[in-house]
Amino acid sequence: MLDHIATKEQINTMVREQRTVRKSTGNLRERAYQEARRWTVDWQHLADKVRRSNPSWLVAHILEPLTLTRACPDRPAELTVLATDGSQLFPDRHEISSCYLINVGTVVIHYGTGERPRLDSRPSLFFSEEDLFVNWGGKRLPVNAEIVGIQRSVMELSKLADLMDEIPSPGRKAVALADGSLIEWTLEGKPDDFKEDNLLALLAAFDAFESRQIPVAGYISSPNSADVVNALRVGLCPESVVSACDNCPQRAHHPDTPPCQVVEGITDKALFERILRGAGERSVLFRSSSEILSEYGRHRIYFFYVNVGYEIARVEVPEWVAQDTGLLGLVHTTACDQVQKGKGYPIILSEAHEKAVVRNADRDLFYRLLSDSFVVGGVRSEVSRKSISKRRLMI
Amino acid sequence: MEEGQPHVGEVIESSTMEFTAESRVLHGAPPFGAFVKIDSYPVVFAIVYAVATQSIEPNRKPTAYGKTEEELRLEQPQIFELLRTEFTSLIIGYRDDTGIFQCLPPQPPRIHGFVHFCSADEITSFTERSHYLRPIFNQARVPSDELTIAAIGNACRARGNNGQYLVRAGKEVARLLKDDYDRLHSILERIHV
Repeated sequence: MLDHIATKEQINTMVREQRTVRKSTGNLRERAYQEARRWTVDWQHLADKVRRSNPSWLVAHILEPLTLTRACPDRPAELTVLATDGSQLFPDRHEISSCYLINVGTVVIHYGTGERPRLDSRPSLFFSEEDLFVNWGGKRLPVNAEIVGIQRSVMELSKLADLMDEIPSPGRKAVALADGSLIEWTLEGKPDDFKEDNLLALLAAFDAFESRQIPVAGYISSPNSADVVNALRVGLCPESVVSACDNCPQRAHHPDTPPCQVVEGITDKALFERILRGAGERSVLFRSSSEILSEYGRHRIYFFYVNVGYEIARVEVPEWVAQDTGLLGLVHTTACDQVQKGKGYPIILSEAHEKAVVRNADRDLFYRLLSDSFVVGGVRSEVSRKSISKRRLMI
Repeated sequence: MEEGQPHVGEVIESSTMEFTAESRVLHGAPPFGAFVKIDSYPVVFAIVYAVATQSIEPNRKPTAYGKTEEELRLEQPQIFELLRTEFTSLIIGYRDDTGIFQCLPPQPPRIHGFVHFCSADEITSFTERSHYLRPIFNQARVPSDELTIAAIGNACRARGNNGQYLVRAGKEVARLLKDDYDRLHSILERIHV
């Protein structure tokens, strides 16, 4: 049971501290903006330095002067947008069976044509020995929440690629939108066998998009990333090559505040709130330096920030979209149009979420169906004592 | 009315005295006061008394967009997948192998049964006697006067605007309302055929 009074006291403390942080963000943002402008002419120097460096944080590769902006192109009158989103019931060993379920919501909406949209969801139940254990560094490991999460992301992208079959004609312009990042960084550091199994499926989906030239994009609302700000930190570092930041050599000269710290603590979102002043404007493209992308081949992920009118969002695309002005413009205009239709968030992703979501009532019904079916099927099953005690509490 | 047409709705709630059906097409419910039937055995006859269009999900409410329906169909087409039209009908009789009965069927219609419009012939034979008007006045939640006006109008049109039928039905309403002349006057005045 939650002690509301004790919780409220801690909330008050948190709010007091955040108020102080907010005040300093404004100054930091201005400082970061000035720093970004400093590289307007000499941006290639910064790009080179970023390329040579290996700091301990994620740094955006610079490809163009970073304070430039691009206006939103017009949306084609006829456009098909595809989206998926997923949710899951994690394996619970206290429940009647340790099976798990992934529910993927799929949505196809045609604009400007009057064709009927399709909103659907498809559950997949995983129960076999093969499903419940994964290859993990040569061992068999029972699946856990993290593994199911990765599997879900991979399924979302595969189903998104399958949706291309619903594009009514080859000439129809279409965009596929994924909820969140296209960079499956959670695979970093995982054993090779597990990583490869998932990467194969991911890259197969990217290949399918590329072969049909349907741009795929990941939409990230309220992004927390600081890749571009981190590139500015590389620029601020007096060292010619930035590396081993954990043992920063500059600390000898500036023990309290190493030079790169003047912009530390703000996000790219805050910086681009200052740069992208007009609704619909996007930033230039950056290339992500996430380690996992070395395995993505020609689908390495690029990203831009865009002022969608309600906030600064981050949009990620694979390399072949980034290099095609037409496809990139299509992604840009679709993102803005979708957010406008959804009054703050892409409407198609909201609908995909609504289709995917598994609510508590659904979860309870799922386990009731499961236990009833086990009884009818004559399979002996047991719910753990812990789970029973959660349901029936004694006084 | 239209014979050989696909069903107009499907029963989603059913009880002895009334049923609710989901319209096959959004905004495609039968009009208020229409005679409908469920093709089961026995065939159940009913009159539509309430039509509503609302969100499929109870926790999502439609909001205003400031656009015409045509614009919405082109630019926000998903909203039409999230709405449904339902209509509720008062059961007024049934037909089995032995004949037509102006009383409640022994069992309510089955859930998922298909609802069809009644043909003009069916309306004519069902409304041959006017006892079916009585349950309309006995149901508190039904807008009795309005429904009587619509039902008599429809029964009269099914007969090719037969004046004699109108006189017969008027007499039945007079009997049902006893000495409430104001109400009787208001009903009879408003029947347009």
